[in-house]
Amino acid sequence: MSEQSLLQVRDLSASVEDLPILYNINLDIKAGETHVLMGPNGAGKSTLGYTLMGNPHYNVTSGQILFDGQDLTNESADKRAKAGMFLSFQNPLEVPGISLGSFIRNAYHEQTGKPVKLLQYKKQLGEAMELLTMDGEYADRDLNVGFSGGEKKKAEILQMLMLNPKLAILDETDSGLDVDAVRTVSKGIQEYQKKKDGALLIITHSTKILESLHVDYTHVLVKGHIVTTGDGSLVEEINEHGFEKYVRCEGCDGCSPLK
Amino acid sequence: MDLKMKVNHLPALTYRFLKSNDSEIDAKDLYIENTKTPDPLDIPEGVSVKSDASEDDIRDIFAKVNAKIEAKKTDIPGPNGDTAPLNDAQTVRTGMGVEIDKLMNEMNVKSLVITSEEGRKVTEPVHIKYDLKDGDCTLGSQVIYAKKDSEITVIMEYDSEPEGKGFLGLQTRLLAEEGAKINLVKVQMLSEGFIHFDDIGSVCDDNASVDTINMQLGAGNTWGGNRTALLGDASTFDNHTGYLCRNKQSYDMNYVADQMGKKTQSNMIFRGVLLDEAVKTFRGTLDFKAGSAGSVGDEQEDTLLLSPDVINRTMPVILCGEEDVDGRHGASIGQLGDDTLFYMESRGIDEEAAKKLMIRARMESIARMIPDEAIIVRIQQFIRTII
Amino acid sequence: MSENNKAVVDIDRSVYDIKDVENEQDFYRMEDGFTEDIVRKISEEKHDPEWMREFRLKSLKIYNELEMPDWGPDTDGLDMNLISSYVRSKSDMKGKWEDVPEDIKNTFERLGIPEAERESLAGVGAQYDSELVYHNVKDEVAAQGVVYTDMESALTGEYADMVHEYFMKLVPPTDHKYAALHGAVWSGGSFVYVPKGVKVDIPLQSYFRLNAAGAGQFEHTLIIVDEGADLHFIEGCSAPKYNVANLHAGCVELFVKKNARLRYSTIENWSKNMYNLNTKRALVEEGARMEWVSGSFGSHTSYLYPMTILKGDHSNMEYTGITFAGKGQNLDTGAKVIHQGKYTSSVISTKSISKSGGIGTYRSSVTINKEAKHAKTSVSCDSLMLDSISRADTIPGMDIRTNDADVGHEAKIGRISDEAVFYLMSRGLSEEDARALIVSGFANPVSKELPLEYAVEMNNLIKLEMSGG
Repeated sequence: MSEQSLLQVRDLSASVEDLPILYNINLDIKAGETHVLMGPNGAGKSTLGYTLMGNPHYNVTSGQILFDGQDLTNESADKRAKAGMFLSFQNPLEVPGISLGSFIRNAYHEQTGKPVKLLQYKKQLGEAMELLTMDGEYADRDLNVGFSGGEKKKAEILQMLMLNPKLAILDETDSGLDVDAVRTVSKGIQEYQKKKDGALLIITHSTKILESLHVDYTHVLVKGHIVTTGDGSLVEEINEHGFEKYVRCEGCDGCSPLK
Repeated sequence: MDLKMKVNHLPALTYRFLKSNDSEIDAKDLYIENTKTPDPLDIPEGVSVKSDASEDDIRDIFAKVNAKIEAKKTDIPGPNGDTAPLNDAQTVRTGMGVEIDKLMNEMNVKSLVITSEEGRKVTEPVHIKYDLKDGDCTLGSQVIYAKKDSEITVIMEYDSEPEGKGFLGLQTRLLAEEGAKINLVKVQMLSEGFIHFDDIGSVCDDNASVDTINMQLGAGNTWGGNRTALLGDASTFDNHTGYLCRNKQSYDMNYVADQMGKKTQSNMIFRGVLLDEAVKTFRGTLDFKAGSAGSVGDEQEDTLLLSPDVINRTMPVILCGEEDVDGRHGASIGQLGDDTLFYMESRGIDEEAAKKLMIRARMESIARMIPDEAIIVRIQQFIRTII
Repeated sequence: MSENNKAVVDIDRSVYDIKDVENEQDFYRMEDGFTEDIVRKISEEKHDPEWMREFRLKSLKIYNELEMPDWGPDTDGLDMNLISSYVRSKSDMKGKWEDVPEDIKNTFERLGIPEAERESLAGVGAQYDSELVYHNVKDEVAAQGVVYTDMESALTGEYADMVHEYFMKLVPPTDHKYAALHGAVWSGGSFVYVPKGVKVDIPLQSYFRLNAAGAGQFEHTLIIVDEGADLHFIEGCSAPKYNVANLHAGCVELFVKKNARLRYSTIENWSKNMYNLNTKRALVEEGARMEWVSGSFGSHTSYLYPMTILKGDHSNMEYTGITFAGKGQNLDTGAKVIHQGKYTSSVISTKSISKSGGIGTYRSSVTINKEAKHAKTSVSCDSLMLDSISRADTIPGMDIRTNDADVGHEAKIGRISDEAVFYLMSRGLSEEDARALIVSGFANPVSKELPLEYAVEMNNLIKLEMSGG
């Protein structure tokens, strides 16, 4: 069974308010692999992330999402999270009254159903925050309230490290960050990669964050279609040449790409 | 005795069909046995406490500011449907109004006067605790008097036996003289068998401030009033109210910032949760009087509705007779937003758990401002037992 | 620009103030006051059907039983014993402009009414005191089956049954004291029926002119926009200024059927001795849309809160309003909405300006009933104070009875910022012009919703008020 993919996306099409965004997406991610999803603005990259995680605003019109042997296509987001999926948000939620630390503890408890061992948890949290160069007091601050853009992204990566999912989908985690912050976030992702079977789907339209990461596969999404898939070197190529060669004619909604 | 009285008059009346112009307290067979405010648990240095003050004594305390209020009256007409004249007879205008004064007078309730010495900033809170037994019917009156340039913090906590029934009605009046600051915290964790009212009226002189925190977590029917006259220039009023209503609980409130002085500031925040068949009426008024140039006022109400059977009434009023002011009110009322829910779920927290988390978050965001760790823990425990 | 149209766009207010001397031979004037005798006389005068006479008498009884609301502006200056309920010209209603009596025609021409008709309207009605003096619909609109007539003709004509079915069903006489009064002494107004699926591309307009001193105008407007149809209706009002109180207690009942749309625009410019106690209400069926655009500039005292009942699922409404309260005015205006159907939505957005001792009150209510799942409402009201002898009060109310609703409310009060005035002055504007420009900008969200000529008129009214009028 080791050959079976952790995530299997089969002919997935999705729409938002009856507007089709994704067409026949096929994607296989095995445990321990790092996949990168690139594409120009408006290609549907974030839609794919949200659809995989089960955002009710996005409707799956056809196809299937299989995860760890389970069909999650119609499951709510919390079921997917409990199954081991994680999505880092571009604009994470702000909750006055619940601290970051307490929120993660709650999430951990909900996912595992086990009581949290406080000392061990605090130690782990402290280490992860240190890795992400987050001041310890952030754990006591209200979840994302008054956080800068960079701090919010770090708080998302912190949750990923603490919740330890089987698959982490990182949605534009690098956007709007300065060089130092990208490096820090990247360090957090590397830490996650160290765990042998942790899989990653990194959604990005730039390549900065990928510089120090090992990438197994790269997918290019254009106008809702995966138009090409390659290995890590594709990132380099796009870095140099951009998406031009993959961008298809105006108004195209489904002809076979790159013929 | 039976109680039947109209309280919480909206400062400017509106359509009758909204049924929010006032509220009626209708309680039968009350035997008021106790009208003495419990002694503070300890009295910090710089604070003096006098019990059994008569209403004449209170009038003396407020005489100077009341004369100043009188002198500030202008010819500018009041708003359409002005209810201010109804409460003209009050020693200090309060949120709930003149009927409370009448009741206290009729029942010969004496006031506990807590005074902070001129120039003394007292950081240690004065703690007054009501521990009510089943059947207790209690009225109480307190005056907090912060003399010039002093600061005082008073925490009032109301608890009862878990299944107890009874009545607790309180009026607390505040005077912050020039440069003084009063912090008043009220935490209500009575059992659902209690009927409760809590009426506050404050006056702030130049550069003075009043900061109130209200946590309304228990009692079956609650009326709350809170009115602050920002009489002096550069005086400020801050309020944070957190409430949690469930079952058939009702909470009827009337908050008014009466901005009279120049460059006054008011900032009122309300965060609440309604569950089951709870009923809430919120009246919040910013009243910019002519002459309040440079004043600002802000009111924000945020209500989470978690059951299809709740009733939420909101009356966010702004009255204005002055050009140079900046006032705003915002209200956001509804259930957990889709985005909130999706974020929570993406972290493995299901809808039920997300609701509980958000209830706690709302209450904590107010509770944690209380300068007493032990009370915060008691609030957390109380909330945990009810949700 | 023609002379007629110029009269409208000219900022000289005197055009509204021209009084036509009504000589006794040409006008019939009911004695002042409101008694059963007078109501019977009006009914006789108007050749009412039997049911209408009964309706009037019943309404009068209700009027006498109801009390004035305790929440609104003071109406002490209004002595009902000194108001004549009915004044009409002895000439009949005309279908041709040329046939309208000369003096009445002059008044309307100065106000630019026929001009506006020729240019941009599908039909025009003009009421002078208590009766319509002119009614006309463009042929192509009539050919679509659109009915636009005066209420009296509608009451006895082809649509008599329809009128009977709808008349004061939405605003029953029991609603409030002046609705009852209206029911007793109503006269004039328009009846509009737009058949299923008919889209009227250009607006219909009614213009109301109350010329007689110490008179009341009680016109009744009944509009039924049938399924899938579309209509824009405009009403304008004006009156010359007298030293005695005049009363306007009109009633507007709007029925917007399934998937239909109705836009109802009003520029109210009654003279400043008018007590404007008007009632407007719309019943909106499934998938239909009601749009209100309302400008209140005139009147001594106003109670005006158009109500929308979102009865059908997926029905929606939008209310855009502006009120300018100047010297001696107490204008209490706003909107009411009731969400009854599922997935209903409402947007209320208002601006109010207070100046020179004027009292402007924004008053509203949003009711979301328990059945109205997925309802959405957004209220935003901005007030601008132009001096410190005026009042600007905001008194909104919300009653929410389902958790499955999304409610947003925002209110702001403020002044013209000194920086903004300074900025404009640094670009060469006088202070007065700078302030007028800023106020026009503040009013812009409303004026852009109006047809061009009306937007121009509104801006001129603002300029007029700003320069001290």
